[in-house]
Amino acid sequence: MTKLLAVFRFELAYHFRRASTLFYFLIVFSMCSMIMQVMAGGPRDDGSFNSPFTLLATTVLGSMLALAMMAGFAGDAAARDTDTRADSLFYTSPVGKRAYILGRFLGTFTMSALLLLAFPAGCLLASVMPWVDPSRLLPIRLSAYLAPYFFFALPNAFVGTALLFGAALVTRRATASYAAGAFLFFSALICGKLLAPRLGVSVATLLDPLGFTTINSLLLSLTQLQKDAFVVRLDDELVTSRLLWIAIATSAMAAAHARFRFAHHAVGRESTAVTSRPTGASRAGAITSTVPAARRVFDASTRLRQLRAITVRSFRELHASRAWWIVPLLALLFILQAPALATSRLGVPGPLTTARLVEFLTGDISIWVTLLIALSAGELVWRERGARMHALAGVTPVADSLSVTGKFLGLALMLAAALTIFLAAGLAVQTIYGADEYDLVLYAQLLYGLLLPEYLLFAAFAMIIHVIVNQKYVANVVVVLTPFARDLIQSLGVENKLLLYGSLPAWMHSEISGFSPGTEARLWFTLYFGGWALLFALAAYLFWIRGEERGLRQQIALARRRVTRASAAIGATALSIIVGAGAFIFYNTHVRHDFLTTAETEQRRAELERRYGRYASLPQPILAATKLHVEFYPRHREATIRGTHRLENRSDARIDTIQVATSPDADTTIVSFDRPSRLTVDDDLHYRIYKLDQALEPGESLEMRFGVAIATRLFESRSTPPVVRNGSFITHRPRDGVHWLPDVGYPTARELDDPGIRKTYGLRERSPYPRLGEVPVGSEQRGYEEIELETIVGTDAGQIGVAPGIARRSWTEASRRYVHYVTEAPISNAWTITSANYAVHRARWRPAAGSQQPVDIEIFHHPTHTANLERMVRAAQASLDYNTRAFGPYRYRQLRLVEFPSHASVGGMTAHSSLVMYAEGMSLLRPAKDPRKIDFLFAVVAHEVGHQWWGHQLSPAFVEGAPFLAESLSWYSAMLAVEQTLGRDHLQRLLGVLRADYMQPNQPRTVPLLQAIEAVDSYRRGPFAMYALREAVGVEPVNRALRNLLAKFPPGRPPYPTSLDFYSELRAATPASSHALLRDLFEEITFWELSAKRIDVRPGGQGAYRVTLHVDAQKRKGDNTGTERAVAMDNLVEILIYDADRKPLHRAPQRLRSGPQTLEFTLPRSPAGAIIDPDHELLDRQPADNEITVESTESFRKVN
Amino acid sequence: MSIELRIDDLSKTYGNGVKALQNISLTIPVGMFGLLGPNGAGKSTLMRTLATLQEPDEGSIRLGNLDVIRQKEAVRQTLGYLPQDFGLYQDIAAEKLLDHFAILEGIVDRTERRSVVEALLHQTNLWDRRKQKLGGFSGGMRQRFGIALALLGNPQLLIVDEPTAGLDPAERVRFLNLLSELGENSIVILSTHIVEDVSELCTRMAIIDKGQILLEAEPLRAVETMRGSVWERVVAKDELPAIERDYNVLSTKLLAGKTVVRVYDETQPSPAFYAVGPELHDVYFSVMGGHYRRPAALEAVR
Repeated sequence: MTKLLAVFRFELAYHFRRASTLFYFLIVFSMCSMIMQVMAGGPRDDGSFNSPFTLLATTVLGSMLALAMMAGFAGDAAARDTDTRADSLFYTSPVGKRAYILGRFLGTFTMSALLLLAFPAGCLLASVMPWVDPSRLLPIRLSAYLAPYFFFALPNAFVGTALLFGAALVTRRATASYAAGAFLFFSALICGKLLAPRLGVSVATLLDPLGFTTINSLLLSLTQLQKDAFVVRLDDELVTSRLLWIAIATSAMAAAHARFRFAHHAVGRESTAVTSRPTGASRAGAITSTVPAARRVFDASTRLRQLRAITVRSFRELHASRAWWIVPLLALLFILQAPALATSRLGVPGPLTTARLVEFLTGDISIWVTLLIALSAGELVWRERGARMHALAGVTPVADSLSVTGKFLGLALMLAAALTIFLAAGLAVQTIYGADEYDLVLYAQLLYGLLLPEYLLFAAFAMIIHVIVNQKYVANVVVVLTPFARDLIQSLGVENKLLLYGSLPAWMHSEISGFSPGTEARLWFTLYFGGWALLFALAAYLFWIRGEERGLRQQIALARRRVTRASAAIGATALSIIVGAGAFIFYNTHVRHDFLTTAETEQRRAELERRYGRYASLPQPILAATKLHVEFYPRHREATIRGTHRLENRSDARIDTIQVATSPDADTTIVSFDRPSRLTVDDDLHYRIYKLDQALEPGESLEMRFGVAIATRLFESRSTPPVVRNGSFITHRPRDGVHWLPDVGYPTARELDDPGIRKTYGLRERSPYPRLGEVPVGSEQRGYEEIELETIVGTDAGQIGVAPGIARRSWTEASRRYVHYVTEAPISNAWTITSANYAVHRARWRPAAGSQQPVDIEIFHHPTHTANLERMVRAAQASLDYNTRAFGPYRYRQLRLVEFPSHASVGGMTAHSSLVMYAEGMSLLRPAKDPRKIDFLFAVVAHEVGHQWWGHQLSPAFVEGAPFLAESLSWYSAMLAVEQTLGRDHLQRLLGVLRADYMQPNQPRTVPLLQAIEAVDSYRRGPFAMYALREAVGVEPVNRALRNLLAKFPPGRPPYPTSLDFYSELRAATPASSHALLRDLFEEITFWELSAKRIDVRPGGQGAYRVTLHVDAQKRKGDNTGTERAVAMDNLVEILIYDADRKPLHRAPQRLRSGPQTLEFTLPRSPAGAIIDPDHELLDRQPADNEITVESTESFRKVN
Repeated sequence: MSIELRIDDLSKTYGNGVKALQNISLTIPVGMFGLLGPNGAGKSTLMRTLATLQEPDEGSIRLGNLDVIRQKEAVRQTLGYLPQDFGLYQDIAAEKLLDHFAILEGIVDRTERRSVVEALLHQTNLWDRRKQKLGGFSGGMRQRFGIALALLGNPQLLIVDEPTAGLDPAERVRFLNLLSELGENSIVILSTHIVEDVSELCTRMAIIDKGQILLEAEPLRAVETMRGSVWERVVAKDELPAIERDYNVLSTKLLAGKTVVRVYDETQPSPAFYAVGPELHDVYFSVMGGHYRRPAALEAVR
C-alpha cells in the first residue's frame, strides 16, 4: 500500500512538473469558454448564457475533446518507461507489478479528473466575466456547475483513463492511447448521431461511452425555458450506461493488468539473445581492409537521389506505422456507410454518385484524416530521435532542407496513397450498390485536385507544429484540436477565410453545372494558403532539430545560420505568393464586392430598419404587372434584365413618394418612372426614395422602368449562384426578401428576425412571425399581390430559357435563342427564370369532366436525368385530378417542372404558380427500389402541385399559422391524391414513414397547430391532424370547409386568410360533436397515451366468442413551456380486433375515458389480437403498446 | 600533405551551468588519437561537437581548410561517427538500412553501393544477419552495425565514442585493427576510458577531465617520462590507509588476497617499495592525481 502510494505520488509529481501539463490545463480552460459560447447559442443569442443545460453540454463535449489530453497523460504514464528505457530499472525494483500499475493508473486518473475540473471552473469563470450580458445570466448555483462534473465528467475521466492507459500498457506505446481516445470519441459520436435516430435514443444512450447521446438529443428538443430549469437527472438508461462503461473500463484495465508482464518488451520477431558465431575472420588478429573505395559524388543529381531515398523511406515508414491503420479502417467505414449514402434525402434510395461519395469523405470522416496527418507528421519529425538514431543520421552529408522536403513528400505520398485506397473503395462500393457509371475523371479532380491539396496544407501545418512545439504528444494535441478551434473561432464571428489557415471555401459539384464558382475560388485560397504552407516549411527547416543540440539559444543560433540566400529566396517566394494571392482574393472579396461578415450584414439590416422602418406603413402602389427582357450570358456567368413594373395605387391616399428597395446582390442600373420624379434618397443600404412631381391618385397606375445586371462572382459566397455556365436560375420572391428586380415599398422581409439579434442591435422587440390576430384584417401585404408576367428570355443557342406562362413564340437571333412567355392568368409575385441545356418531356392532363381545360405538363430536365419523368407526370396528373375535383379548377393551361442544379445530396422542390422547381438531387432518387414500398417522389410532387391551391390560390396572411395553411393543407391534398391513385395501403405505409420522422422523441411541441411555424409542425403534425380529422368526420365536411375557405379568400387581394379563418370554416362544416376533437387537434397541444394491456377470450355460446379488452388511456395537454398536465379524456378511438390472418373481425370507434377500462365484444370467430387506434390518428408517443395479442396475454398469465 | 584537425579555445557550458568544455585546444594529425577521461569529463560533448552535432559556445574547429562549425555539410561528407549510445530502426533489415545510408553518404552508383554494403557487412561480421530486422539485433550486433555505418564512405575523420563497449574480445581486436588501419590515412579519434585501447593503438592521446585537457602527449613518450618515478609495494589491507596518507598513491589492486600499491615518487619513497616499469595507467592516474610533471619538450610546444 505504501508502495502504491509512493508510485501514485511520484506520478502526480511527475505530471505537475511537466510543462505540457500546464499547457493542457490552459487549452482546456480556453476551450471551455468557447464551447460555452457556442452551446449558449453564440454571442448574440438572447438565451441565458449559463443555463444548467449549457453547463452540462459544455462539460460533456469538453470532456470528449479532453480525451486528447487524457491520452497524453495515460500514454505517457503507461509507456514512459519503455520509451526512456528505464523499464528494466522499474521491473527489477521491489515495487511490484500491482503497485506499479495501480499507482500509475490512479495518478493518471487523478490528473484527468483534475483536468476535467477545469470545465466547471472555466464555466464559472466565464460566467462572471464583465463582458457577459447580465440579462443573459442566471443566478449562479454551484450545483449546476458541479453536477455535470460528477455525473458525466468524472465517469468519463475514469472510463477514458482506464481504456487509454490499458491500451498503452498492453502495447507499450503511447500512440495506442490516442487510438483508444479516438475510438471512444467516435463511438460516442456514432451513438449520438447515427444510432440514436435508427435504434432509438435509449439504445444509443446505453451504448454511448461518454454521454454524448444524452446531450445531443436534448440539444434538439429543449426549449430555452427547459434549458434554464434543467436539472441533471439520472434516468435508468443513463445510469445503466455509465455503470456498464465503468464496468467495461474496469475489466479492460484488469485484462491489461493481467497481460502486462514485468519483463523486457521484445521487439521484432527474434529475441534479443542472439550471439554471433565466430567466423574464421574474427579469430585472426590482422585483417586487411576489404572495403572498396567507393566513388562519392555530391552534386545536384545526388541531392535528387537522396531526396528520393528519404521520400521513399518516409513513405515506407508511415505505411508501416500504426497511424496507417486509420486508412484501411476508413475505407472500411466508407464501404459500410455506402448503403446509407445510397439512401438520399427522405430515405429514398438513389445511385451512389461520385460526388456524393467524395462528399462523405469531407464530412464527419475528415477528423480521421486530421488524426492520420497529425500522427504521421509526428512520426516523421520524431523518427530519428524516437529510434535514438538521430546522431547516426545527423552526421550524414544530407542538407537539412532535403530531410524536411523528403519527409514532407513522404507524407504527401502517403496521403495520395490513402486517397487512392478511398478511390478503390469508392469504385468497389459503386460496383456493389450499382452506379450508373464510373467517373474516374471526376474522382481524380475531387480527390487529387481538391482534397489532396487541403490535406497537404494541413500536413505542412502539422509538421511545423511538431517542430516548434518539440514535444510529440503536446504537438499531436495541438494539431488535432486545431480544426475544432478553427470552427469555434469561425462560429464566434471571425469569418474572413484569409485569417483562418486552411479554411477553404466549400466545393460543390453538380451534374448540370459542374464545379461551382466557389470551387474555383477554392483554388485561389489553396494557392494563398500554399504560400503560408511554404513559409511553414521554411520555418520547419530553420528550426529543424538535428543532432544533439537541445538548447533554445543554440537552436535560434542554428536557425540564424540556416538563413542563407536560398532560404531567403524561398521565404520571399512564399511571401510573394501570400501577398499576391492574398491581394487578389482581398481585392475580389473586399474591394470589388463588399465582403460582409454575418455581423456586418446584420448591422446593415439593422441600420436599414432604423433609418427607414418608419416607412413600413406608408401607402405604396402595388405591383400589378411586370414585363421583362432577360438576357443570359452563361459563358460569362452574367445576365441582364430590363423591364417595367406597372404599379397601381390601391389605397385611398395620394402617393407622392415611391420607396424602392434594390437588390443587394445585383447592380441596379436604371430606375425611372413614366412621369417626372426626383431621387431624394439613395444610399448604400440599397434603398432609394423617389419623389413624384405629380402624386399618384388613388386608382391611378404608374410605370417604373428598370435595368439590372447580375454577375456571378468568382468568390461567390452562395453555394448556388444565380448565373452559371449551365443551369442558371434567377428566383425572385420579394415577400421573403429574395429579389433581383427593384421592389416597391419598405422591405420588411430584410429586417432581422431573431429576437436575440434584434436585441443586440437595440431594435424593438418583435417575434419573427406576427402573432395570430395582430395583423389587421384587410391590410395590404406587399409581395402577396398577384401579377401578370410577360417575359422574353434570351440565352446561348445551346440552352433554352424558361419562364412562367404560355410560350407564345420562339426564335433565334444572332445565334442566341429567345422565347417569349406570357402568363394567361395572374400568378403570385414569386417566380423563377432559368436557362440551361434542357431536354423537355411533355405530357398532358385531361379533366374527367367539367369546365376545367386540359393542362400541358412539361418537365425541363437535364438530358441524362430521365429516370423519374413518368413518375413525376403521373403524380402531377393525380394531384391535378384530385384537387380540381375536390377544391376547384387549376388556373393555368400548363404546369412546368424545371430542374435546377444542386449538390447530389440536396433534394427539395419549390412551387411557384404553374411552375415547380426541383433540385437535381430529386432526379437521382430511385423510388422503385425503396424497400419501404412507398413512392416518396410521387407524394412530394403531389404536394408541390397541391401548393397551386394551398399557398397560391389560398394565399395565407403573413402571421403565425401561415406555414400550417400552406404546407399542411398541401400535404393533406397529397395524401388524398396518393390514396386515390396508389391505394389506402400505400398511404398507410407513407404515413408510417412520415410518422417516424415526426415521432422523433424530444421534438419540441410547444405551439398549437393554428400558430405553427416550425417545419415539423407544418409538414408532419399538421397533415396528421388533417388526416385524423378526415377519419373522424369523413372527407366531405373537411373538403367543404376548404372549398368555402378558397371561395371566401380570392388570391392577390386583401383580406388574406389566417388559420383562424380555416378553423372557423372547419367548425362550421363539422358537427358539434367533433368540436372537442377539433380543439384537441388544432387549438391545443394534445397527446394521448393509449395502451392495450390484456385481451381475454371466452366462449360466448352458439359458436361466438366473448372478448374482453383491457386498455389504459390518458390524455395530456402541453403548454408553451413544454410542460404537460393530464386532462380528462373523452374521445372516440378506433378499435381493431383481428384474427389469426390479421383479417379484421371488428373495427369501430369506441368512446374511451381516462384510466384503465375494459371493453367487451362478442365476435363470431376467435381473435388473435387487438389494436387501439390502428392508423395512429391520435398523437401517441409510444404507439408500439397500442397492440396486444392473445398469445402474449396467455404467456404472461402462465409466467405469473 | 595530409590534413589535420585543429581545435582552438573550444568552450561549452550547458544550460544547467555545467562547464562541459573549457578553452580546449588540440591539434590532431592523421592517425589514431585517444581521448581518455573519466565519466562526465566532457569527452562525449567534445566528440559530438567535432561530429557537427552540437554547437560550441566559443572557439573554432578546422578540419584542413574546412570550418567544422559553419561548414557542417562539407565536413559531413568526410565524416564517420559512432556515438556512444544509439538505437536503430526496429523494423528494417540491416542490409536495407545500410543501403539507405550509403545513398545518403553519396554513393549513388548502384553497383558500387552494393559492393560497399556487402564488404562492410562482411567486415563487421553481419553478412549472415543482413536480412534480419534490426529490432532483433543484440547489443554487440547493434554496435557492429553502427561501426559499419560509421565506416561508410571511407571517412577522413572518424570519431568513435566508446566503441569497444559491448564487443566480445575477438570483435574488439578485430575492430581496433580496423581502426588502426584506417588511421594510416585518416584522423581517427577514439574516446574511451579503457586505457589499454589507447596504449595499444594510439599514436597520440589526450587526457581530459572537467572539461579541460590535462595532458596531450604521445603515449609512449608519456610513459617514458614516468620512468623511475613509479614504485610498487605489497601491503596488508589494514596498512592501506596509512600509505594513502603518506604517499602519492597512483593505484591499488588486489592480488592473491594482498593489496599491491603503486605510488608516484621521484625518489624511492622507502626501502619497502621496489621500482617498476611505468605503464599508461600510471600516466593516467598521475595526471588525474595532479602529480604528472609535464615534460619540458611538450611544455615548449605550448
